[in-house]
Amino acid sequence: MTSYGGGGGYSRNNYGAQGGDDAGGFMGGSQTGSQGGGAAPKNYSDDSLRPITLKQLVDCKEAYPGSELKIDNAPVTQVTVVGQVRAVNPQTTNITYKLDDGTAVMDVKKWVDAEKADDSDPKFGPDAYVRVWGRLTSFNGKKHIGAHNIRAIEDFNEVNYHMLEATYVHLCLLKGMPNGPGSGGGDQGGGAGGGGGGGDSMFADGGNGSSEAAGGGHTARLATVSRNGRTMFNFLHNSPGGNEGLHLNLVAQGTGLSVRDVIGAADELLGNGLVYTTVDDETWAILDY
Amino acid sequence: MEASSTARVICSYLDSYVGKNVIVVGKVVQIRGDEAVIDADGNITAHLNRGSHLAAGNGAQLIGKVNPDLSVKVLSSLDLGNNVDFSLANLVAKVSHQNKDLFIYD
Repeated sequence: MTSYGGGGGYSRNNYGAQGGDDAGGFMGGSQTGSQGGGAAPKNYSDDSLRPITLKQLVDCKEAYPGSELKIDNAPVTQVTVVGQVRAVNPQTTNITYKLDDGTAVMDVKKWVDAEKADDSDPKFGPDAYVRVWGRLTSFNGKKHIGAHNIRAIEDFNEVNYHMLEATYVHLCLLKGMPNGPGSGGGDQGGGAGGGGGGGDSMFADGGNGSSEAAGGGHTARLATVSRNGRTMFNFLHNSPGGNEGLHLNLVAQGTGLSVRDVIGAADELLGNGLVYTTVDDETWAILDY
Repeated sequence: MEASSTARVICSYLDSYVGKNVIVVGKVVQIRGDEAVIDADGNITAHLNRGSHLAAGNGAQLIGKVNPDLSVKVLSSLDLGNNVDFSLANLVAKVSHQNKDLFIYD
């Protein structure tokens, strides 16, 4: 007891005597706070590695200069691409490769590590097929890929594999997961309390899950919905329509479903309390709560 | 950063790419001088250039221009060895035409 009391007194003394330090502590606190605030928009769950084609990169536009780049409505930072080297341009600080994957041509910069003796020599000649891991960066309005790593492709089938994988991820983000794995992911997400919309999406950018807090809930609620219903829901979810919702014809056009299928899907979604009718019986919006 | 693409094609798509550059991945069926026959879901006649080193029976990737007679004037060719999944290559050509926003500028 005495030792406790002494200790308490001592520490209080310490505080009292060194008010300056205390204030310093606050300063530090507020500093980290502001830093944290500044870094908050950077969402590391968006940092997943995404397979894409170069055309997707060339086509994607920034909403405003310096904003994050989005493809299929999901932010992209880290990407992997596969293509043929068309030109090599070694410079003192980096090696610039012109990469062509048949869909577009883009510059890939591999920065030279000065501490590695042979890093400044280009390792890939023209026409070589390579896989690049890197970060999409925009500089003076010109986009390029800052490569973390480049390696040669030994098995040509990897090129075709990559094209299919890029298509798969694109379609998943656009139309939602296919029925089988998607519903599995949904169940998992529900079980884990909407934990980011499914453990299934190790490569996709969280799909519906991480981009919006409600996404996890949606995925869980969609678990029992048929494929058409899911397609329609994802279309409504990804379309800017505001509160007015989207009309039957727009949904049919956008999803590629027949009018009859859309009506069926809408009935199902209405029954599950996922959508509601707005201006008339053939216009639906997502019911958020 | 050029808004141009080289479409991956199979034999039956050639007629919509006359005068344009395409990528053909297929099996080398026959080589006769500077002319080769490539099987990409159907036989395609290719006029090779000097730098072509293809081997009959192996896979090959050709990049070239489609002539009006639907033969291909090869600009660049690549021997792919004997471990190429041709049905996969044909599928990629089909998928790329179903998802043109990922692969092909019109």
